Amino acid sequence: MFHRCNMGFWAGFLLLGVVLAGPFYAVATTIKIAGSTTLLPILSEAAKQYRITHPDLRLTVSGGGSGMAVANIERGTIDIGMASRPLSAGEAERLGSSTDVIPVARDAVAIAVSKAVYESGVTQLSLAQIAAIYRGEIRNWRELGGLDATILVIDKEASRGTRHVFASVVLGNSRARAPGATIITGSNNEEQSVISRSDQAIGMLSNAWLNDRVRAIAVGEGDAALLPTLENVALGRYVIKRDLNILVPKGSGVEVKEFVDFLRSDQGQAIVEMVGFHSVR
Amino acid sequence: MILRWWLSTSALLSSLTIVLVFGFLLQSSWPLIQQQGITFIIGDEWYPFESLYGMLPALVGTVWAVALALLIALPCGVAAAILCAELLPAQLRGAMRFSMELMAGVPSVVYGLLGMWVLLPLLESQLDLLTGRTLLAAGLLLALMILPTIMVLSEDAIRAVSQSQREAAKNLGIGWDAMLWRVLLPQAWPGIRVATLLATGRAMGETVAVMLVVGSIDRIPDPFYNFLQPAQTLTSRIGREMAEASIGSLHWAALLFCGLLLAIIAIGLSLLIQRKVVAA
Repeated sequence: MFHRCNMGFWAGFLLLGVVLAGPFYAVATTIKIAGSTTLLPILSEAAKQYRITHPDLRLTVSGGGSGMAVANIERGTIDIGMASRPLSAGEAERLGSSTDVIPVARDAVAIAVSKAVYESGVTQLSLAQIAAIYRGEIRNWRELGGLDATILVIDKEASRGTRHVFASVVLGNSRARAPGATIITGSNNEEQSVISRSDQAIGMLSNAWLNDRVRAIAVGEGDAALLPTLENVALGRYVIKRDLNILVPKGSGVEVKEFVDFLRSDQGQAIVEMVGFHSVR
Repeated sequence: MILRWWLSTSALLSSLTIVLVFGFLLQSSWPLIQQQGITFIIGDEWYPFESLYGMLPALVGTVWAVALALLIALPCGVAAAILCAELLPAQLRGAMRFSMELMAGVPSVVYGLLGMWVLLPLLESQLDLLTGRTLLAAGLLLALMILPTIMVLSEDAIRAVSQSQREAAKNLGIGWDAMLWRVLLPQAWPGIRVATLLATGRAMGETVAVMLVVGSIDRIPDPFYNFLQPAQTLTSRIGREMAEASIGSLHWAALLFCGLLLAIIAIGLSLLIQRKVVAA
């Protein structure tokens, strides 16, 4: 019934299947990690180093946001969730008894602006001014002492941990609306690229994503305004700050527990500081 | 016997899939309809945390993005098809068709990245926009993505016009333009229409590429015809929010309702076009 070429095709197909599936059978345990893109660099680097001493363990680390981490821990589709915010009341009710929330790093949410904005003289804003921008009451940098340019206001997806922390400190409620927003972005990378390519943008970014084209401004009134430096975060002086947590279901396997211990060990916390966050110790 | 059995089972299964998909979408979005009626379709506020699920902003955004894409891709695609089918020598024609088929095979996320890194800066600098993430960007990108579909299918339709028709036209002594307008295009029209329908379907369902360039803000452009503003489409909303919605929640139901809306629009369109074909 089959032609020769068909036989060859099917044989090749089967062979390909075996080759592709092989590695998955050879490895016993996989730890699936997903969630906040803020924690992504920490967990990626930690997984990379952990693999050196545990070569037979598979660790997959992917983004998606804190809200996604909570939803997937609830569905049981991942082993460790990354959340860059505390659990909300509803989430704590659903997950609190079955999941441990373990802080692995501290971070500040920086108010980030485009380089051109910073250089035109807007180097600090009060919380009220930032709130006015996101409420749509201030729409031009001129009103804040900068150039005559419309403000490109970047908001983040409602489920993102960075937005929760920002909104609860600046707008007074973690789910507050931001009618002044121009566009909505998702991951830290996406937002960083928008700010760095614009000359008039403002956004909220984790400290570790700042660079020459994406500058943090000081937050506060007059001389009391502070930059989100690691020192200001450690001393609790910078107000838009948070713990970066991992979510671990109670009763997880020993492999997961050992990895969590590794994250909180000296070596793990050194990674935290290396990628630009503050240790929890 | 076996062949016949196989054919009818396959046909049955594929039509059953449509029913299943519809059933699933309806069942999953039912809690929302039960709780809020159906008026949220024309609501203009989408705030999941406040249980506001207005569909209008994303609906308007979807219609705009698809309309812009068709407005650009349809004339270009049909023109390219005419050129290819009637005017180009065989070798060039083969090269052009091959390039179009290649274009159709490029994954959509590649188009999205292309849009992000090439199209957005271009729009920003040329049109002096606050941000290039606009309905226009989505429309342009979608146009690029549906162009191969329109072009390849339209070319097939034009080439399928029988040689005797062309010869008859030539024997009547009418010029090439007249033949194009009076013979080729009317004869090929059903095929072009199908191409348009398929392209519309693809444009409506496209998610990743649109998500990267549309701005994703749930707000109707102001005024509503201003396609130089950021907006939201149904697919981009699903793409951005699906991961965070917990299964069974109202938010989840609302996102699946977005999918149901898309399916209803797609079916409505194809019914409309089918009825026209019958009428013709």
